[in-house]
Amino acid sequence: MSDVVPAPTTAVPAPAPETNAVEEPLDLVRLSLDERIYVKLRGDRELRGKLHAYDGHLNMVLGDVEETITVVDINEETYEEVIRTVKRNSEMLFVRGDGVILVSPPSRA
Amino acid sequence: MVRSLHFPSKTPSVSRFLFYSFFKTLVGQQVTVELKNDLAITGVLISVDQFLNIKLDEIKVVDEARYPHMIPVKNCFIRGSVVRYVQLPAQAVDTALLQDAARREAQQPTTAQQGNVRVK
Amino acid sequence: MSELQPFIDHSVSVITADGRFIVGTLKGFDQTTNIILEKCHERVFSQTGTEVVPLGLYLIQGDNICIIGELDDIRDANLDLANLCADPIQAVKHSH
Repeated sequence: MSDVVPAPTTAVPAPAPETNAVEEPLDLVRLSLDERIYVKLRGDRELRGKLHAYDGHLNMVLGDVEETITVVDINEETYEEVIRTVKRNSEMLFVRGDGVILVSPPSRA
Repeated sequence: MVRSLHFPSKTPSVSRFLFYSFFKTLVGQQVTVELKNDLAITGVLISVDQFLNIKLDEIKVVDEARYPHMIPVKNCFIRGSVVRYVQLPAQAVDTALLQDAARREAQQPTTAQQGNVRVK
Repeated sequence: MSELQPFIDHSVSVITADGRFIVGTLKGFDQTTNIILEKCHERVFSQTGTEVVPLGLYLIQGDNICIIGELDDIRDANLDLANLCADPIQAVKHSH
């Protein structure tokens, strides 16, 4: 594996002090870094996992993820709708932001 | 293992940069890309670009019995816009570094309008 | 974005957003993944075998492209398409 030279510190503008203030919606996501969050996605999918990274598109990397997919089967004889959930786990998952409907931070009660 | 994310200071779209850099650190790793048409492909990550288009080598479709279509394909280009997930090897991801990078990026001025949010 | 450069003049298979499977020779591409395919044909998959439909010269718009795969010509030539049974690939869902 190659060594990547770290960026010279002068190339990075001095970051503003990190605050806990929520001024724009994404600040709520920032405050959830390193916490377990809930994500609802298009296609009846939900994720629960630890937030390791996000960007302005709501692309995310989640760790220890449990995915829940809700599937509606229609019984061929009775035409009844049978709702079934499928669960899957992955240790590390990149999620593309265009499928994200909502993000909910951990309970702050 | 690569343990650094490189951030040049002048990028037109900072937002795109975090995951672009992140994926570049994963080149050579085996990943599984799940697409919005439910196809899932495992392969070695060869490259990624600013749109998060992905190239994989030595590919294998996860459910090959159902999808024999790709049998004669050895490597492929996947358009970023059709990706749903990428499953990553956890041991290749430095989560502390990644969180730092995400925090640092959050400090950058964004082009988005300032929202009006009140949370106590 | 020159990730497609190595595929130029090679046989490729393209899966489109609506689930079609098109095979041809990649002659060109641009930033947004618009591509030019020469001498292409579509493979129509079904559970009764795969039908090959000649198409000619195609430009495929980038937003409608899902995957571009480099074909291994030898492996591809060994495929018995008429007897390759499979369901068609699904369309990309951005819905809900």
